Amino acid sequence: MRLFFLTTLLLCCKFGLSQQSEKYIPREAVTVFTINNENLFQKISVDELITYDFMEEINQELFDGSTNGKTLKDAGIDFQQKLNIFYGKDNQFEVSGFSFGIKDTTDLFSVFDDFEFISMLNGAKVYGSFFNKLIIKDKDALLIRVDPIMTYVDKITDSIWYAQGNENPFIQYFDDNGNILDEKVYDENEETTNDFIPDASDDPNVKNYYELRDSIESVIQKNLQSMVLDEIYNQNISLSSTDKHFAEQITHDSEGIFYMDNSRNIDKANGLWYFETILPTLYNDIREIYDGNIILGDMTLLDNSIEFDITALYGEKLGSIYKEMTDSKFDKRVLSYIPEESTGYFTYNINLRSAYEKAFEVIMPILEDEKNAQISMNVLTIQLLNEFVNKDALFDTYKGSLFGSFNGIKKVKTKKIEFFYDEETFDYAERITEAIEEMPIFTIGFSTKRPDIPEKILKHISRLTSQLKNEGGFWCFQNAILDAAPLYMVNTNGLFIFSNDAEFANNYTKGYGSKAISPKKAKAIKKSGFMYANFDLKETINRLPPDFFPARQNEFIQSLKGKTGVIELVSNDTDTKRTKLKVNYSYASGDNSAKHLLDLINALYVVYK
Amino acid sequence: MNYMRKISCLFILLSSILFTSCIEIIDDILIHDDGSGVFKYTVNLSSSKVKINSILALDSLKGKRVPELSEIKEKIYLFKKSLSNQKGISNVLIEENYTDFIFKFSCNFSSPGVLQTGIENSISEISENQVFLDPKYKWIQWDGNVLSRTIPDITSDKLKTLDSKDDELLKLGTYTAISRFDRKIEKFDNPNAKLSKSLTATMLKVDTYSLKENENLIDNRIFLSKIKN
Repeated sequence: MRLFFLTTLLLCCKFGLSQQSEKYIPREAVTVFTINNENLFQKISVDELITYDFMEEINQELFDGSTNGKTLKDAGIDFQQKLNIFYGKDNQFEVSGFSFGIKDTTDLFSVFDDFEFISMLNGAKVYGSFFNKLIIKDKDALLIRVDPIMTYVDKITDSIWYAQGNENPFIQYFDDNGNILDEKVYDENEETTNDFIPDASDDPNVKNYYELRDSIESVIQKNLQSMVLDEIYNQNISLSSTDKHFAEQITHDSEGIFYMDNSRNIDKANGLWYFETILPTLYNDIREIYDGNIILGDMTLLDNSIEFDITALYGEKLGSIYKEMTDSKFDKRVLSYIPEESTGYFTYNINLRSAYEKAFEVIMPILEDEKNAQISMNVLTIQLLNEFVNKDALFDTYKGSLFGSFNGIKKVKTKKIEFFYDEETFDYAERITEAIEEMPIFTIGFSTKRPDIPEKILKHISRLTSQLKNEGGFWCFQNAILDAAPLYMVNTNGLFIFSNDAEFANNYTKGYGSKAISPKKAKAIKKSGFMYANFDLKETINRLPPDFFPARQNEFIQSLKGKTGVIELVSNDTDTKRTKLKVNYSYASGDNSAKHLLDLINALYVVYK
Repeated sequence: MNYMRKISCLFILLSSILFTSCIEIIDDILIHDDGSGVFKYTVNLSSSKVKINSILALDSLKGKRVPELSEIKEKIYLFKKSLSNQKGISNVLIEENYTDFIFKFSCNFSSPGVLQTGIENSISEISENQVFLDPKYKWIQWDGNVLSRTIPDITSDKLKTLDSKDDELLKLGTYTAISRFDRKIEKFDNPNAKLSKSLTATMLKVDTYSLKENENLIDNRIFLSKIKN
């Protein structure tokens, strides 16, 4: 009996201590990362921590010299509680910050040394700095930043500005017909001056447009901040109390926890904003499809590896589409086209036909109900295409199964202009010679039941341009890649494959044979569900030339640079409610696993924020 | 700030990628006895066109905005227009090859001093930010009998900013300085320079990596024979 009480007491202490600060995460948070690893916190320095992207929103407070040489341990933070990093955005404001437990308030303020006490809030002490608020209640702290979205501030500013009888503040940028002036015309037009905007110094009681906007932004920020804090501290409304999935997820003991509500992820749903404004009912219906689309993840530290279990939850409608989509049979033929030397490869195997039929069934009734001429015309077009288009031919040509491999950096032949000199006169002239440039080698292919259709397309294009030629076993499109290197297309064995690898086109159009991936790796792919990916970080991410990728992808690549190990992504079950994915990151023994965990959290943050 | 740096501005805004790609530069000047002459400057990036095309497809690189091709073309047009209006400069030609990324600039000048001033003024005119000129800096000096050429700051400044991972590319890049005259060359003090068979021209060719290591490599003083009356 004593043992029972002792165990109960210990469990109470455990949960009592480990689930405190997360209840202060605002309900507006869309993405939450929770780190729950005592050792990790004790080892990492504050200076190191604030270099991560997930700290960027709040690091102004910390990156001021007060953290030099200090670890989180020195910062008075309680490691028995979780550190929760959150970010959210709606159409009025952005909220970011983190919540954590406090062990020693004096130590805490040696790091958060710019904060000054402001007020009390239902027993909580509110401290403020230039950017952020720090709220401490008992031994739990919330560092939060609330920023109004500028489009929202502009909207209110405009309404007040015009209500006061003012003219368009940007009128000088328009011509008499209301068209935006060309920059040169604007610069050349002496009449387009800013003189009509009253200067504050002329009449301190009259604000110009920008001063008005600054005032409004300041007031909105204050109000929104008060609103958010009031909900958390007076009304006990937080993400934990409003989202049962988050509330359940946050109880997990895994070293890292991830939560993202895709249905509220405004940035990812930017495409729907048009509908929100123009067709609000359609917007609501479309959003309904995404309701309940929440991604939950657990990161667990194992010996020399990190396991990341991801569950994507959906509502019934989206789930029904995904279920049909992932109900597909793996095409084994792709295995012979992934070389063993490949340092990164993926397979993606979906049933596009079934997904199309289901999406048609789910989405069309929503569109049909919309009383809008443009939507009605689109519905009619879609209905007619659905009737007239040969769907068998379409979905037999592209069934939805893809594979790809990164085969390292190879030198590819290009042409260059070279200057050659007459050694007697030093006159020079140009000549075309072969150049060698380094290029990442990719192969991407898809399964097809109708190889005749892509062949037909290529034949017709080759009549239009001399750049495209049938070279026997493959098609070659000269200068297709970055206007310099050729792209090879292989239509064989029920697969249509694109590659910039001349060696593949010349020697392996029938497959890599014994040089294809090993049976063990092939088995892992076949066992996986609709998706599988395997990347050797050192050989793939580290070797990708940053110049070849746009800023966003580059940010992600940079966040993983310098890492070693293998990342394997395996998809498990998919039903109408969820899809489960598992990512395993294995690395050499002796590496700092906690650091790896933070690096991975950071990479995820970069992707999902 | 010297005027060779501004030449690079002219040729690109591509300056941020100039030395991270394999580059060939030919700097060819002809000086007649009366000081007038022809200046030709060629930038050949054709062996890095894959890289340049990929960079131009990006919005930004290393935190700096990558200019649109149209902006580059406009800058070149403005430079040409401005230089054509400079006193003592004539016949300004700029050939732009955006397929192979080769840019050839040439102009006639009435004296080397006029050439330097003209280019400086034109660069200042088209620069968005104010350009502070160093009036003491002379890339090329000519007294009627001796021509002194030194390293353009573009080379030394830009090279200094590169990290060692660009070294392999730099080893493939070349900088060729050619000086031509109407009369014979008596002597020159850079032992790496070559003299033409007619004895009226010198050529100095170095790789850009060596130039990074030793910025005095292309310094040269060329002494000409006396003009026969």
